[in-house]
Amino acid sequence: MTRGDSLYRRLLGLLLLPLLGLGSLFLIQAWGDAQRTANRAFDRLLEAASLAIAEQVQWQDDRLWLDLPPAALEMLATDAEERVFYSLVDGQGRLITGNAELPGDPRQGLEGSDTLLYRHIAWQGLSLRQGTRRTRLEDWGVREPFEVRVAHSREGRDALAAELWHANLAMILAMAALATVGLLLAIRAALTPLTRLRRAIRARDPRTLSPLELSLPRELAELRDTVNELLARMRRVRANQERFIGDASHQLRTPLAGLSARAELALRQDDPARWKEALVAMQATSVRTARLAGQLLSLTRLANPEYRPARAPLELNAIARQAVRDHWASCQRQGVDLGVEASGGDVWIRGIDWLLAEAIGNLIDNACRYGGHCVTVQVENAPPRLVVEDNGPGIPEARRLLMLRPFHRDHDELEGSGLGLAIVDGIARTHGARLQLSAGHDGGGLRVALQFPGDTP
Amino acid sequence: MTLLLVEDDALLAETLIDTLRLEGHDICHLANGDAARTRLSVTGHGDELVLLDLNLPGCSGLAVLAALRSHDQETPVLILTARGAVEDRVQGLDLGADDYLAKPFALDELEARVRALLRRRSPDAPLRVGALRLDTRHQRFTLDGAPLALPPREQRLLSCLMHHAGEPVDKALLAEEAFQGDAMGDNAIEVYVHRLRKRLGDSGVALRTVRGLGYLLEVE
Repeated sequence: MTRGDSLYRRLLGLLLLPLLGLGSLFLIQAWGDAQRTANRAFDRLLEAASLAIAEQVQWQDDRLWLDLPPAALEMLATDAEERVFYSLVDGQGRLITGNAELPGDPRQGLEGSDTLLYRHIAWQGLSLRQGTRRTRLEDWGVREPFEVRVAHSREGRDALAAELWHANLAMILAMAALATVGLLLAIRAALTPLTRLRRAIRARDPRTLSPLELSLPRELAELRDTVNELLARMRRVRANQERFIGDASHQLRTPLAGLSARAELALRQDDPARWKEALVAMQATSVRTARLAGQLLSLTRLANPEYRPARAPLELNAIARQAVRDHWASCQRQGVDLGVEASGGDVWIRGIDWLLAEAIGNLIDNACRYGGHCVTVQVENAPPRLVVEDNGPGIPEARRLLMLRPFHRDHDELEGSGLGLAIVDGIARTHGARLQLSAGHDGGGLRVALQFPGDTP
Repeated sequence: MTLLLVEDDALLAETLIDTLRLEGHDICHLANGDAARTRLSVTGHGDELVLLDLNLPGCSGLAVLAALRSHDQETPVLILTARGAVEDRVQGLDLGADDYLAKPFALDELEARVRALLRRRSPDAPLRVGALRLDTRHQRFTLDGAPLALPPREQRLLSCLMHHAGEPVDKALLAEEAFQGDAMGDNAIEVYVHRLRKRLGDSGVALRTVRGLGYLLEVE
């Protein structure tokens, strides 16, 4: 896992992104609100000023006449030192009086009544807000329409808008900060069970395989259960191993005890014939014990799941011939006729030569031990098969599977460790081959076949 | 000429020394890998054969073997090891060992291997299987001291079997040796083997059949 890929960061990112979007929306809306509020407030001033002016318009000497009240303009000039303009225009659009020639508003107001229109204008390089009041003078027999145009520069509005916006901005930022802190705490809290699980696993003694006992939220409970299943499998494997070690040490201790006792007995005796007898017995026992130790080593190696030796193309006939060459002398000493029946052509498989040699060796050894007088190593083609057949008493069908179990022996009175077939089984599995036990060709004896998958190298 | 035995187990070493002395060899025994390496690193170490354990105190047997083979390809080396794995055998043979015996081994077996290795070293020495003797220089056989006159094919066949005495020899190899390229077929071999058996009679030397493989010459 890379440092950057963290559940915590991922959650934080996924939650902060929408939060950022939402905050931006709030900010945009706050900006618009501030503008609108400031405009509304200042437009009221324009309205009041234009009304004050309009009220002072009179009809004198057949024309419109205005006596400008100073208060009307003063109310437009706020603290922000805005510049204030006004003009009075008659129905034909002629300027009657004013301190600036403000442009008219092209929009149509409500016909025949008093209307007020607002807009932003740029005038002589100034950005202004203008209010245009269209009304008429109602006097004795005179109905004269006129327009009052008032405008002021925007400093006051902008100042108010900025002030409102800043207040909102501070609030939104504070909220965002609070939300972020809240999120951090919430994610941390939500991930605590993960930390607990990690601590629980780390705190364990590597030798204990007992299940993890801690209450976790559902998603993590599944993980815990999976780990517990693995632990259960490992417990079974270890129980197997412990049983094997127990059996093995028993198997090794027994002949050693026999050796020691036999030697002790011989030392008490004075008859050289007895000594010789003891020596012969002790030699046989020590050879058997050494063989057992070797077999235990092979079995342990084969049982190691990490043990994956490289497989190479092998010719089965050559392997069978070599095995017969290697074991012929010892078989001969035991009065067993060992032979080979090669197949017609070469039979190639992928395998490990010394493991196959060991498998054949074990099978030959078993056959000799359990009463075969004629043992034959056979090679068959299609499917590739390595067979060791003897003419001994054989094994009843019901008990054949039992024979694959380590330390199982069919004849307790015979010497032997009961590991031979277990080793051959292990070697078969290493090769992806099937181990088949059956009766010999003529119905007697035992025929053990390693059937290899039919892949040609 | 001495045999060098490099073995750290006292009981086994003692037994092997006694066994090989009875066979008429001079033995030099070392129980330490470093000492063995020092001895064998010198050209002209004077050992005829090395019996080498792999698990040694000091440097390992394989290191001793490598040190020897760095300057001496001739001296035969027989590896003795408790490591049952044939993997080690492969490694040892790759490094230039000549033969390999896994502990535990029968003393007979050891003696046979030692004889075979020494014979390989001096091919001109007469071969002996029980009462049967071959003067390799002149290809002359004697049985119980009496000359044994053989036709050329039987002569080559018996000579080949004697060179591999105690181990099964493939029919194909025997046919090649005896007939020297004449395609006579495997069955012809049986005829010659039958004749040889008759000649050997009950001299105590047996020519046995290894089913499906070939033949083997041994002392009964």
